Amino acid sequence: MTNRKRLWYIFGPVILAFVLILILFMLPLGGHYSAKTEQRAASSLSPVIFKNQKIKQQALSDKNTRYVPFFGSSELRRFDNFHPSIMAARYHNYTPFLLGQRGAQSLPQFFNITTMEGQLRDKKAVYIVSPQWFVKKGILPPAFKYYNGELADLTWLKKANPKSPYDRYVAKRLIQMIGNGGSVADDAAKIAQGKALSGWDKTVLNFRINLLQHEDALFSGFQLENNYDRFIKPQVNKLPAKYDEARLHQMAVNKAAKETDNNSFHVKNSFYTKKVKPHLKKLKGSQRNFDYNQSPEYGDLQVVLNQFKNNNTNVMFVIPPVNGRWEAYTGMDMQMYYRTVDKIKFQLRQQGFNNILDLSHDGNQPYFMEDTIHIGYAGWVKFDSATSKFIEQSQPQPHYQLSDEFLTQKWANLIPTQQNLNQFKEQELNK
Amino acid sequence: MINWLSSLPNFTAYGTPVYFIYLLLALLPLGIGLFFGKRFQWYEALISFIFIFLMFDGASWQQLFSLIAYVIYQTFLVMYYHHYRKTNNSSGVFYLFSFLSLIPIIVVKLSPAMVGHNSLLGFLGISYLTFRAVGTIIETRDGMVKEITPWHFIRFMLFMPTITSGPIDRYRRFSKDYQKVPERSDYLKLVEKGVFYLFLGFLYKFVIAYFFGQRFYPHFEQAAMSDGFFSWNMLGVMYTYGFYLFFDFAGYSLFAVAISYFMGVKTPMNFKQPFKSKNIKEFWNRWHISLSFWFRDYIFMRFVFMATKKRWFKNRNALSATAYMLNMLTMGFWHGITWYYILYGFLHGLALVVNDWWLRYKRKHLKKMPHNKFTECVAIFVTFNFVMFTFLLFSGYLNTYFFG
Repeated sequence: MTNRKRLWYIFGPVILAFVLILILFMLPLGGHYSAKTEQRAASSLSPVIFKNQKIKQQALSDKNTRYVPFFGSSELRRFDNFHPSIMAARYHNYTPFLLGQRGAQSLPQFFNITTMEGQLRDKKAVYIVSPQWFVKKGILPPAFKYYNGELADLTWLKKANPKSPYDRYVAKRLIQMIGNGGSVADDAAKIAQGKALSGWDKTVLNFRINLLQHEDALFSGFQLENNYDRFIKPQVNKLPAKYDEARLHQMAVNKAAKETDNNSFHVKNSFYTKKVKPHLKKLKGSQRNFDYNQSPEYGDLQVVLNQFKNNNTNVMFVIPPVNGRWEAYTGMDMQMYYRTVDKIKFQLRQQGFNNILDLSHDGNQPYFMEDTIHIGYAGWVKFDSATSKFIEQSQPQPHYQLSDEFLTQKWANLIPTQQNLNQFKEQELNK
Repeated sequence: MINWLSSLPNFTAYGTPVYFIYLLLALLPLGIGLFFGKRFQWYEALISFIFIFLMFDGASWQQLFSLIAYVIYQTFLVMYYHHYRKTNNSSGVFYLFSFLSLIPIIVVKLSPAMVGHNSLLGFLGISYLTFRAVGTIIETRDGMVKEITPWHFIRFMLFMPTITSGPIDRYRRFSKDYQKVPERSDYLKLVEKGVFYLFLGFLYKFVIAYFFGQRFYPHFEQAAMSDGFFSWNMLGVMYTYGFYLFFDFAGYSLFAVAISYFMGVKTPMNFKQPFKSKNIKEFWNRWHISLSFWFRDYIFMRFVFMATKKRWFKNRNALSATAYMLNMLTMGFWHGITWYYILYGFLHGLALVVNDWWLRYKRKHLKKMPHNKFTECVAIFVTFNFVMFTFLLFSGYLNTYFFG
């Protein structure tokens, strides 16, 4: 074989590979998703939706179907018959776009929102903020990384302002989560130190964002869980045609009574058998030392509030309850729990976030919960009634005034007794 | 200066597909030179310098200074010992120089456990450079390194493709390749293999390891946290981490070998289908080969020779068992001074001992035991799962799981 021929043998396939890749990334493929894909994405709860942007951006700016973002965590997976997605499919003129699953707390939501800020501008949204998020250590790195994607990180880095205390806070938290090393952490370290990214950094960012956007457009559509066909479609027609809250409430209670009859906690049978029964002894008194009063999660919530303010998004905050019977058994300090709720509400109200649906005292209502800490059945009925009114009726313009003091250690570690809250208001907010 | 350094872009070796475009473009003139029988030493030095610089600038600029100081220190030690060895050969001096050569890594490895933070002396790849430097001192003692100049030694230490994570080459082998230019047809063979390894590496690192490391592992990592220890999710953590570790590291090693080939140097391979090993000894002949052979030659064999010469052991089996434990425990400590690395080393040492015992036992008492496809499968299954379990330890996940 001549040398020339050999060189072709060696490099021909390589050159071909590069040409094919270039073509793949140049082609305007994956331009538009079908309405069906949008619908599936809205209830897929997949981390892909969280990390990437194309599908949710397209859905939230859809002119034909009104998608409303519902930010939350594990409760969104409780697809019983009264789940807001199913209720909306039957009665309302909008479709919830569910964003979050187990372990998705405020910091992952922050990066999620980063990739869809344009779609939130002047819109409405629902944000379910669970007191259980506010554990001493805040979100753990494995949970964060599960929802974290490079596209969201880079999108944030591109517009991060080293002078803003909010962006510096996010940069520090991001490094705590993903660790040092890697270009994302290197860039974040600059922001955390209050230094702007160099022109070269931005060039690299743009280049990578461009590639990732292509990847997102090409592949994200294939990775959606089909919860729509599994849970929503088959249950829609089981709801009565005409909306009647009292009747729905009664239906929910009846259904729940049947589905939670193998235990005294009113926990769904399958959940009880699988998750509770095998450890029942061990779980008694297991929550005695739970404490949600002090947590970095308060600061994480604050950066999300800042995003809502920047985009003038009108948000209804929902504080879900915990199962009263279960908490009595596991020994949770309910005073601590209610103080946590007070602290969250204080942080919201002081800054003008006044649409709050506080369900925290409903944990003892009959059949309000689907299991130990997740709302369901009658709880969903009440949830849906309040959120749908908020979304369907016109609301006054929100007036948010943010206080950077809520980013501080002092706030994160404040024990929220009424006295302490008043003092914080006097000393920090009114100064 | 430091401001300027820390503002420069940083490129980890083989971190992203785009890195290869820059690297291969830079290496192109070198390849053309080799094709025509010329090795452009100065161009090569320049390219190596630039790419090493890009690994250690930006936020890691402190490591750049540590690296420079480290290489100067080791060059000084090696040259001085080589000079001494021409006329003398005392064991004491040899041990002294080996120890001096090991000091930086000992400090770096002990620091996190002793003072709670990483030592300033450290930089990415210090372990691998230590193997090269100490290996050279040992080879010099054995009289296998006849000639060495500071320039040749520095080129060996700072050979760009393998600087941060191996494979670990030996000075004698490396310098033979590096002093000469391969024949054209040999060079084309290298390039052909290199292209194949490069693309296999892409598949390993950027596709398979990506799915295991970024998709599957985080899923199980999170799910297992709220389960009991013996759960399906924990098993998921174990397997996904094990496969991630292999494909990530084997992919990286393939890159390093491929780039070395393009530069006309036959860096040894690091992996040889380790998961089809029938016993743990075979596993260590297939997994991270350049490391395990380094340990075999310079720790295991040396200990066995010395113990035999000095008659420390009456029983040959006790000797080899001690040597195995010493060998693997040292490897455990080398990975880092944490309970899980040390336990990892301990278990592998123990496994090698048990494996030896079992082979002896089988030879003596189970002569009639059948040997066929089925027993081979059982052997592979047992070895594979043992290895995966030790990787679960190695991952450090259990540390987070048990101690938060």
